[in-house]
Amino acid sequence: MSYIKPLILFSLLLASIATATAADSLVIYSGRSDKFVKPVIAEFTRQTGIEVILHAGKSTALLGKLKIEGERTSADLFLSNDAGNLQKGSDWGLFRPMNTALTKDIAPQYRAEDNTWVGLSARARVLVVNTQGPWADKLDSVFDLADPALRGKIGITNSTNGSYIAGVTVYMKAAGVEKTRHWLEGLKTNAEGRVFNKHSKIVKAVAQGRLQAGLVNHYYIYRHLAKHPDAPIKIVLPDQGPNGIGVAWNVAGIAITKHTTKAALAEKLVAFLVSETGQKQFAEVNREYPTRTGVPASPEVPPAGSYKVADVPMAELGRARNATLDLIEQVGMP
Amino acid sequence: MPNPSLPFVRTLNPVRLNSLGGLASGVVLLAAVPLLFVIYNSLQLSTQQWLGLWSSRLPELLWNTLSLAVLVAVGCVVLGVSSAWWIARREFPGRKLAVWLMVLPLTVPTYVFAHIYTTLMEEDGWLGRLWLALGGGADTIPDLYNVWGATLILSLAGFSYVFLLARAALSQSTRSLEEAARIQGASSLEVFWRVNLPLLRPAIAAALAVVVLHVLSDFGAVSMLRFQTFTLSIYLQMSGRFDYQSAAGLSLILVMLSLTFLVLERFFRNRQRYYAARQSRPQPRQRATPLETGLIWSWLGFITLLAFGLPLAWMLSWSWEAWSQQLIDAQFWGYARNSLMVAGIAASVAVVAALPVAFYNARHRSLASHTLLHLSSVGFVLPGPVIALGILSFLLAQLPFLYGGLAALLIAVVIRFLPLAVQSIDAAMAQLTPSVEQAGRSLGAGPLENLWRVVLPMIRGGMATAWVLVFIDTLKELPATLILRPTGFDTLPVRIWIEASEEMLELAAPAALMLVIGTLPVLWIMMRGESATTSNP
Repeated sequence: MSYIKPLILFSLLLASIATATAADSLVIYSGRSDKFVKPVIAEFTRQTGIEVILHAGKSTALLGKLKIEGERTSADLFLSNDAGNLQKGSDWGLFRPMNTALTKDIAPQYRAEDNTWVGLSARARVLVVNTQGPWADKLDSVFDLADPALRGKIGITNSTNGSYIAGVTVYMKAAGVEKTRHWLEGLKTNAEGRVFNKHSKIVKAVAQGRLQAGLVNHYYIYRHLAKHPDAPIKIVLPDQGPNGIGVAWNVAGIAITKHTTKAALAEKLVAFLVSETGQKQFAEVNREYPTRTGVPASPEVPPAGSYKVADVPMAELGRARNATLDLIEQVGMP
Repeated sequence: MPNPSLPFVRTLNPVRLNSLGGLASGVVLLAAVPLLFVIYNSLQLSTQQWLGLWSSRLPELLWNTLSLAVLVAVGCVVLGVSSAWWIARREFPGRKLAVWLMVLPLTVPTYVFAHIYTTLMEEDGWLGRLWLALGGGADTIPDLYNVWGATLILSLAGFSYVFLLARAALSQSTRSLEEAARIQGASSLEVFWRVNLPLLRPAIAAALAVVVLHVLSDFGAVSMLRFQTFTLSIYLQMSGRFDYQSAAGLSLILVMLSLTFLVLERFFRNRQRYYAARQSRPQPRQRATPLETGLIWSWLGFITLLAFGLPLAWMLSWSWEAWSQQLIDAQFWGYARNSLMVAGIAASVAVVAALPVAFYNARHRSLASHTLLHLSSVGFVLPGPVIALGILSFLLAQLPFLYGGLAALLIAVVIRFLPLAVQSIDAAMAQLTPSVEQAGRSLGAGPLENLWRVVLPMIRGGMATAWVLVFIDTLKELPATLILRPTGFDTLPVRIWIEASEEMLELAAPAALMLVIGTLPVLWIMMRGESATTSNP
C-alpha cells in the first residue's frame, strides 16, 4: 500500500499548517451576520491597514469553543448579537477588561460593569401590527398578545431564538415570573403550535394579513418596508404607559479575549467601533441604535430616548438565561 | 452451516493476528475518544440531575427519536426496495439513467433538503402556490415542522442507501432458487415474499443500519424542523445552557440506544449467510412491457422529482440569481476547494484506518472483534457537536501541538464516518469465500503477499465504496466542521449555513449546487465499480 506513507506525511503537513496569521492581523469569533459586520471591518482595514479574519458561527458555539480552547485560542475578539452571551463569557473570565477611556462614551447600561465587554448597537423588541385588520389600534403591550381573542392571529419565533429568550428574560425581570409564565401560556395557546424560525417571516405574514400581530426586533419591520413601502404594517412600541414596563432592549457587542497576544491591536478595533464613524456604520447597516450617546439611528426608526425602555441591566440577560429557559420549558413553548 | 472461518483461523500465525488486533484496537481506541469524553462528563452528573433528565425529557425524546427512526426506515424501504426491484429485474428504456437518478439524492445534505422544502411549502413557494392553485387554503398547507416533515426529508435524503444495497443483492441473487419456487407452483408475489425478500434481508438490514444511524445522528434536518430528537436536544443543552454534562448524559443514552440497535442488526445479519456460487446463472432482466415501462417511469419519476428534481431546480434558479448579480467570486471557489480537500483526505484516512478493524473481524470472528467493530461505530451515533467537543478537549489536553491546523477537523470527521468505511469493507470481506484465501496460502503466498495480491484486489469494490461514502458524508458535514475548522477556513456547508441563516438564498444555493457537482465524479467511480461487479452475464 504504497500510497499510505505519502498520505500520512501529507496529513501531518496539513496539521502543521497552523493558521499562521500575520503579526498585524486580528481574528474575531463572530456570532453576528457576516453581511452586517463586513462593511465596518472593511472600513477599519482601509483606515488602519490591519487585516481582520471573521470566523463566523453561532455565538453560543463560539463562546463554548473559546472556553475550551483557553489560552490556545486564536481569537482576539468575540462579537455577539446577544448581551447574554457577552455577560456569560465575562462571568467565565474569558475576556480582559478594556481601557476605561475606550468605552467612556458608551452609556454604562450598555456595557459590562468591569468593562470586559462593550455594547455596539441596540435593538428593540416591538410589536408589528397589521394596519388594515381589526387589531390595528388595539394593541399596546406585549402582554396583549396572550389575549384569547387573538388565537391563531399572532406570530412568535420558536423558543430557541436568542432575541426571543432575551426578551422573555426582560419581561420576567420587569413584570415578575408568574405574570410572564401566565403570558407564555397564553402565547402558546394563541400560536396554535405554529411558530416561526425567522422574524422576517412573521413580518411577512402580518403584512399579508395572515396574522394580525407579531413580536419581533424593530429592524425587521423596516427591512420589510424598505422592500415593500406600501405594506400595511406598523410598529407599536409596547408597554409605554405610566405603569408599563417599557420596551425590552438587547445589545450586540464586542469583547477582547483574555488570552489574546494582540490586545493593543484589538483595542484599536474597539476604538474604531465605538468612534462616531464606526458607531454609525455598525448600527446603520441593520437600522439598529448606536450605543454611543449622541449618535442618531436611521431616520425611519423611532429615536432612542423618545420612548421608555425596560429598566433591566444587560448583564441579567446572561445571568438569568437559565431561569428563562427553565420557565420556557416548564410552559412547554414550541 | 459450519463456521467457514474456523479452519482458516487455525492456519494463521497467531503473532500476525495479534498485531492485527493491536492495530485494530489502536484505531478503535482513537475512535472512542469522544465516547470517553461523554462518559467522563456524564459521570459528573449527580443522581438528582439524572433523575431530572429522566423525568423531564427522556420519555418524549425516546418516543420522538424512535418513531422518527422507524418511520424513516419504512419510508426508505418503500422507496429503495421498489426502485431497486424494477431496475434490477426489468429492462426498460433509460434504465441506466434511472440508476443514477436514484443515487443522486445522496448529494444533497439533509439541512439543504429541509431548507428547500420549508421554503417551497411556504405560501409563496412553488409547492405552496401549487397547493393554493389546486384549491387548498393557505391555512391547510401541510406543516413540515413535525415528525411527518422530518420523515419526508430524511427518507428522501436516505433511501438511496437502501436502493444501492438492495439492487446489488437483487442483481447478484441467482436464478435457481426462484426457478425452483416457480416449478413448485409459486406465483410471482409468493416468489417475492418467500424467496426474494428473505434473500434481500441481509442487504436491507445493512442498509437500514446506515439509514437509522443517519437518523439518530442527524442534526441538520431536525434542527431546521425543530423536531426534538436526542441530537437536537443535546445541541440545545450545549448551546442554550452551556450544560455539557446534561448533553453528555443524553449522548450516553443515545449511544446505548444505537449500540443496542447495531448489536441486534448484526445478530440478525450473522444468522443469515448466503454464499452464492459464482458459476450459477444470475437473474436475467425481463424486457418490460410498455405498460410496465409507463408504470416504472411514473414511479421512478415521482421519486426523482421529490428527491432530486425539485431541490436541483431550486438550487439552479437561485444560483442563476447569484450568477447574474455577480455574487460568485474567488472566495467561493476557495470554499469549494476547502471542502474537496477535507473530504478527500478524510476519506483516504478513513479507508486505511478501517482496514485493520474489518480484517480483524473477518478473520477472527470473536467477542473481541465484534466489540471492536461496534465500538468503531460510536462516531456515527454521537452527534457531530459532541464529537467535535470531545476531540477539541482531547487534543488540547493531550496533543496541543496538533491544534490550530486541519488535524482536529480531520480527526473528527474520520471518527464520525469511520463506521461507513468499516461497514463497507467488512461487507466486502464477508463475501470473500475463505477458500480463495486458503488457495492463495496453499500456493505459497506469505500473509502479506496474500493480502496484497489476493485479498485487497478482491475487496477493491468495497474499499472504493467505503471511500466514496466517507467522501460524500464529509463533503456534507456541518456540525463538527463549524466547531473545529481552522480560523477563517470555510467550507461549502459552512457557507450554506451562514448564508441560509441570513436568508441570503442566492448565496446558499450556489454552494449547495457545488456540493452536488463535487459529488458527481466520486459517485461515478462508485457506480462504475458496481456495474463491473453486477453486470457480468
